[in-house]
Amino acid sequence: MNLADGVQIVSFGVLALMMLGAALGVVLLENIVYSAFLLGGVFISIAGLYILLNAGFVAAAQVLIYVGAVNVLILFGIMLVNKRQNFVPLRNAWVGKTTTALVCLGLFALLGAMVLSTPWAISTAPVAGDTSTVVIGLHFFSDFLLPFELASVLLLMALIGAIVLARREFLPDALEREQTQQPVLTLPERPRELASATPSSPDRTLGTSSTKRNV
Amino acid sequence: MLKFLKQVTDYTKEAVQAARFIGQGLSVTFDHMQRRPITVQYPYEKLIPSERFRGRIHFEFDKCISCEVCVRVCPINLPVVDWEFNKETKKKKLNHYSIDFGVCIFCGNCVEYCPTNCLSMTEEYDLSTYDRHELNFDNVALGRLPYKVTEDPMVQPLRELAYLPKGVLDPHGLPPGSRRAGKLPEEILEEAEGNGAK
Amino acid sequence: MNSGIDLQGSFIQILVDLGLTAEVARVAWLPLPMLLVLVGATLGVLVTTWLERKISAAAQQRIGPEFAGPLGMLIPIADGLKLLVKEDIIPAKADSLLFTLGPAIVVIPVFLSFLIVPFGQNLLITDLGIGIFLWISLSSIAPIGLLMAGYASNNKYSLLGGLRAAAQSISYEIPLALSVVAIAMMSNSLSTIDIVQQQSGYGILGWNVWRQPIGFLIFWIAALAECERLPFDLPEAEEELVAGYQTEYAGIKFGLFYLGSYVNLVLSSLFVSVLYLGGWNFIIPIEVMADWIGVSETTPWLQVITGSLGIIMTLLKAYLLVFLAILLRWTLPRVRIDQLLDLGWKFLLPVSLVNLLLTAALKLTFPVAFGG
Repeated sequence: MNLADGVQIVSFGVLALMMLGAALGVVLLENIVYSAFLLGGVFISIAGLYILLNAGFVAAAQVLIYVGAVNVLILFGIMLVNKRQNFVPLRNAWVGKTTTALVCLGLFALLGAMVLSTPWAISTAPVAGDTSTVVIGLHFFSDFLLPFELASVLLLMALIGAIVLARREFLPDALEREQTQQPVLTLPERPRELASATPSSPDRTLGTSSTKRNV
Repeated sequence: MLKFLKQVTDYTKEAVQAARFIGQGLSVTFDHMQRRPITVQYPYEKLIPSERFRGRIHFEFDKCISCEVCVRVCPINLPVVDWEFNKETKKKKLNHYSIDFGVCIFCGNCVEYCPTNCLSMTEEYDLSTYDRHELNFDNVALGRLPYKVTEDPMVQPLRELAYLPKGVLDPHGLPPGSRRAGKLPEEILEEAEGNGAK
Repeated sequence: MNSGIDLQGSFIQILVDLGLTAEVARVAWLPLPMLLVLVGATLGVLVTTWLERKISAAAQQRIGPEFAGPLGMLIPIADGLKLLVKEDIIPAKADSLLFTLGPAIVVIPVFLSFLIVPFGQNLLITDLGIGIFLWISLSSIAPIGLLMAGYASNNKYSLLGGLRAAAQSISYEIPLALSVVAIAMMSNSLSTIDIVQQQSGYGILGWNVWRQPIGFLIFWIAALAECERLPFDLPEAEEELVAGYQTEYAGIKFGLFYLGSYVNLVLSSLFVSVLYLGGWNFIIPIEVMADWIGVSETTPWLQVITGSLGIIMTLLKAYLLVFLAILLRWTLPRVRIDQLLDLGWKFLLPVSLVNLLLTAALKLTFPVAFGG
């Protein structure tokens, strides 16, 4: 065993331990903020494992998407809703816990079966390495086109939903009156013209609120 | 469609305008970098206070007649005049006099109204201490005269802007005899008297 | 193509000649460039803080630091020493673990990003295939550290500052990444070396600024916002938030935040110079100049000159941008939080998308000029 192999094995061990420890921490810790931060640790360890597998691009994408976006959003959510609230003891709580345990065990059994049944032969194809970016791109636009497009449609839906939620203007005083005549499947908001095309005042510069908001 | 296009062009125009204004601002800031600094390096250089500067008050113990006019004209009755009546000479005898410069607003009313001119304004303005009670000057401290900025060997005196020759903005390296812009007060007085004589 | 000096190769060769195995020689080489870059980055921060003080003073017609060393050059060292020896206070009600971890998480990714900053053909730590993408992904870790610091301080101002910082850096990462994508599209690679190579050959005319003027502006604005420089320093807006997420920090932990923000500024300037201003290229290509004086490109002394000129040019361009950032600081007032998000989402994002589209169209139409 030469030096490079030794380094690889040691770092694999360290990363695996880090990941398992952090993942256990996410599940077991009482403080939800610690769980969220440890989730970031899990993601980073996974990125480290990707690097060990010569998949630098995937590792960087993992850090960018999961640590930089998903985890930050989770933290954001936790910190904006930081209400110290004691949980009310639930009756028949064991039902929920048992179901969770069953689902988890089932999932574990499925994954275990998958792991055992897969022939883990090491591929003889040359490692893509730095050209993996190109390979991934080619896969996206050939055999994985449908999932790729579906994911983009999903993202578009989320985007439009977010815009609809963000653009609604809430009127607290007019709430009760309007709620009676609220059509189904709409949110209470100030009535506004569609396709508002008021010319903006000339003194307004870049970055002031959009024209649409003060119709 | 046309309306939308107009919106787009308006928006672009606004963006370009904003960019132009930012450029203008940058050029102003950049221009300031080539100007000479106006810094007065304080402990080593000091501005010469003007003639009517209202600094720390000077008090002459022997001139004071303990009339307490200064206390009455003071907006907050600040000066403390401690006197006792001498029955033999039938005169007030002043024991102590003090002014707390941590509270004084340097309005100069006491100086203005003092009947014997025992109060006067000095040029001293750097009254910093470690304890605010040290600013309560008694008659001994009030009787000290401050170093004049122009006579202090540690300090390079600098003239204020109004005392510089015409067109000069930097007080550093001014020739010693240079005259300030405009007429001096004495000259104005002289001229007025000359006119009156005619 | 002339590959320039290969310090690594020469160093390993020397050690092997001395009787070591090639592997040990490689291991001995490994820490050297890292240490050099670490020290270099810290020195760069010292220079930047001094420049910040001096340029700010000049812009306000002051003198600035003058008595600590010649022209006040020892002021940054005095600052650093002061921060080092100050008492390290952890507030009683703070979460001491997260409080300590926060500044480290902010600083480490910034220093890691120096892995891929090239100062010459072979003068960088590693030429990774994912290059610039590494920087984008690493810079997305910083908001976690900021949120951590903000939360752990157990202080309203800190929490608000942390939230603002996270929101700001998420919003401005997208235009930043999109303008980098446009560059990557033109150079057909993410590697910083390839990006600079693609700009070399025509001197100043070949630089990406001319092909990507909009991208350059977007990148610079977004980079300023990522560094939390004025006019985008909302997370620490002192009038509203005392000092944002730094409010409760003192001593060396505050120093780490300070160091991190300045390293980030230098790093962003370096990346602007690599992506848009031709990296280590001189205004006139070196090969052309070598031809004029009739010297072969492979002459050793010319290679040494080329290498040093490359380092000097990269630093010069970067510090020019640092200067611009400082000038901007004293020109523009701080924006409001809604203006900041408006600018990011409603202006920079669409414009950078249009820029990407334009670049793609131009690449298809003029493959010669746009790296087809």
